[in-house]
Amino acid sequence: MKIENHPRLDALCGEYLLGTLRGAARRRFERALREEPLTSLRLRYWERIFVPRYSQMIEMQPSAAGWKRLERDLDLARYRIPWHRRAAFWRGWAAAATAALVLGVVLQISLPAYKTSEPVAVAQLTGQADVSRVTALLSPDGRTLELRAARAVVAGPAQSYELWLLPAEGTAPVSLAVLGSLDARFALPPAQVGRLRSGAKLAVSVEPAGGSPTGKPTGPVILIGPIDT
Amino acid sequence: MLNDQDIKKLLLRTAARDEGSAEAFESLYKTCAPLLLGVAQRIVGRRELAEEVLHDGFAKIWRAAESFDPLSAHPVAWLVTIVRNRAIDVQASQNVSRVGSYHDALDNDPDGALDRLFDWGPAADEGEDRRRAAQWLRDCLAELQAVERQSLVLAYEHGLSHGELAAHLRKPLGTVKTWIRRGMVNLRECVEACMGAVR
Repeated sequence: MKIENHPRLDALCGEYLLGTLRGAARRRFERALREEPLTSLRLRYWERIFVPRYSQMIEMQPSAAGWKRLERDLDLARYRIPWHRRAAFWRGWAAAATAALVLGVVLQISLPAYKTSEPVAVAQLTGQADVSRVTALLSPDGRTLELRAARAVVAGPAQSYELWLLPAEGTAPVSLAVLGSLDARFALPPAQVGRLRSGAKLAVSVEPAGGSPTGKPTGPVILIGPIDT
Repeated sequence: MLNDQDIKKLLLRTAARDEGSAEAFESLYKTCAPLLLGVAQRIVGRRELAEEVLHDGFAKIWRAAESFDPLSAHPVAWLVTIVRNRAIDVQASQNVSRVGSYHDALDNDPDGALDRLFDWGPAADEGEDRRRAAQWLRDCLAELQAVERQSLVLAYEHGLSHGELAAHLRKPLGTVKTWIRRGMVNLRECVEACMGAVR
């Protein structure tokens, strides 16, 4: 029987969205979604009813290697705009050429050597003896934070690490990232760019997988260190 | 997070498979991967496994983008479904019991869990229609019997099967199946009543 005429069509749609439709039953349903218009129409109706929007609190930053691997596995280079046809490239080239010219002039006048764009260590995080020391480094533009652990530290299955900024003003801790490992590199939340300065501290707490359920640290703080910029 | 319209555009651009598709797909990844990784983590419970699920999920998204229904109002739901299904399959193939590992916060505070997991407030980019639908769902979930609500939320959040739910709740399989089925029917009827009331 076609699924679109099935007396349990509604039950199937609901359980498909819920995730309890499994195995062969789910594959049959997915085939019907492609082949039977009434089935996909009914599912679209169900999507209007069952539309939970996940909270941003469950977000986790994927590892930087993830995208590179995907790009390689799917051979995405074939579908990129060639560099010489990208408007942004020429705009960037013009800006860079101008900037280089200006910079060259300025450097010749004022600076003996050009500074590199390596991230700069801004804090040493330490804790109990059995937890590795972690260095926090900030990119020169202040937008990307990197953590380097002296020894690898990876969260257990039901845990995440959460990195907090304890602002210089003494206000409530602000979550910067939820991490599975203490070797990580991620973009700072835009609102926190520029707030990592002397007087503030960084701290790492252990939280349930996915991060603190309350938006404030709930687990033990295992690492802490003052920011020194 | 971009709004639904932007994500839909990125998906259609990805599906076009021409110059610029990779850029669109990369934007889609950068925008949605953190949420989808969080979704996977809730189901598989292990970071490295969740990253695998994310990889496989996005490979599927790349391949299936052409079958994305451009009339769908919920592109994020489409992405979430792909990643959840992958996570559920990976978890099932791991062949380990996870049932013991859930904290029982849900049992004591199902409404708190609903608000931790989901965002019911109006999003900046959302139309009145969508905002109202989210509110109806929230209210109708609250009206369900506790056992039904708990079964639905547990199944959705952790991707539990009927069998795993039965083990976790220490109830017969048939009872749990009934709760799920009745819960979904009641939810639909309640939301439909809300829809009818504003008509």
